[in-house]
Amino acid sequence: MIIHLWSYLYKHVFRFWIKWILRQLTGKCELQRICDGSKKSAERTLKIEHSLESSKNKVLQSAVHAPEDEVKKYVALIMKEKKIDIQKDTGFSLKLQMCLLQITGYKKLYLDVEDLRKCQYNSCNEGHEKQLIELWNLLMPHEKLKARITKQWCDIGFQGDDPKTDFRGMGMLGLVNLLYFSKHYTHEARQILTRSNNPKLGYSYAIVGINLTEMAYSLLKNGALKTYFYNLVPSVAQMDHFHRFYCYLAYEFDKFWFEEEPESIMYFNQYREKFHEIIKRRLQDYDVVLAL
Amino acid sequence: MGLLSILRKLKSAPDQEVRILLLGLDNAGKTTLLKQLASEDITHITPTQGFNIKSVQSQGFKLNVWDIGGQRKIRPYWRNYFENTDILIYVIDSADRKRFEETGQELAELLDEEKLSGVPVLIFANKQDLLTAAPAAEIAEGLNLHTIRDRVWQIQSCSALTGEGVQDGMNWVCKNVNAKKK
Repeated sequence: MIIHLWSYLYKHVFRFWIKWILRQLTGKCELQRICDGSKKSAERTLKIEHSLESSKNKVLQSAVHAPEDEVKKYVALIMKEKKIDIQKDTGFSLKLQMCLLQITGYKKLYLDVEDLRKCQYNSCNEGHEKQLIELWNLLMPHEKLKARITKQWCDIGFQGDDPKTDFRGMGMLGLVNLLYFSKHYTHEARQILTRSNNPKLGYSYAIVGINLTEMAYSLLKNGALKTYFYNLVPSVAQMDHFHRFYCYLAYEFDKFWFEEEPESIMYFNQYREKFHEIIKRRLQDYDVVLAL
Repeated sequence: MGLLSILRKLKSAPDQEVRILLLGLDNAGKTTLLKQLASEDITHITPTQGFNIKSVQSQGFKLNVWDIGGQRKIRPYWRNYFENTDILIYVIDSADRKRFEETGQELAELLDEEKLSGVPVLIFANKQDLLTAAPAAEIAEGLNLHTIRDRVWQIQSCSALTGEGVQDGMNWVCKNVNAKKK
């Protein structure tokens, strides 16, 4: 109750006055103070984002939703609104522009990822089928697929004889992630596939991959991945960067699983949750850099 | 915990706990059904490795629903979850005619299990939202459900996606919780 009251008062009363006093003392607005006080990293971008979103000014509020080609225009508008003299603070406009590109880029990336997720795997789509076969060929270079519908799919960890039903809620995003890992980290992917066939500690490679895609997707959706992207990409994040995060998860999960030595695959969800917590903790660090 | 909630707890009788086992082939819709029962988002579902469990309050019961993955590789683990089951819910993808035989075999094996003997069984003829779905009556006939004599059973057509028919099935579950034949 007291916490609620305090946060209400802070948001609606104190924040304004603290900002006003600081402005009088330093001669700079909050955005300038953030840019001066923090190094180029997720910390700066996150603080700028928070400052813009909690602003009462409509221009500042809408800046975080600007399309990429209007970012420059928004920077100029913000500087005008905040009466920032470009001569006095020469680095500011560039710093703000970088932050805005990162902030709006993240939002745009989420929409792109969401589009791919909503795209259902369709066996009548030649492009989809080609990618599925390519996944097989990359993972099993010495074994030919005998038919499109075959029990062989279980060898790379699908549930039955036709993988199409396994993509479900993750749609093409699940397949594209699996394929990206096999294509760009072929050696690691094959190694993990071999390990996943361990008779005692094994798990279903493809199914677990689709589960990890769901993890990556939900971390992107709830904003937890911001630290990762803001540190990794100096301007607009691309789909590739998201796939790379999936690769990191796939690699780390395998390591985690064999270290934990679960009793059986039936405990997957408990260990998945434990792994999820570890990743969330890593992402809370402002300086986080996650790479394979 | 506040005084009020303690008083409230003392006053009302505790809900009877019911153990429900949710089985069926992979892609039958078990997890979607589970999430539909718990009123959760059903748009991000992925194949189940292992199992999911959720507790749902319904008509004075606390339903503990165990949703076990259906892929062939993990079906041998199903038996680890049989003990103390009050109700078995078996889910069928009514549109996947090619696998009716497989799903019938799995169901027949379950009904032969000693640990599940006498346990009431509800069969959900799921995915009725699809145009190609077989009607519940056709599935009942194909699976020879009328030959089941050692327990109470029911087949209910439903769509876990839209929620249609799910509540009717759960009403049957609540009515038959104590119908286990010893």
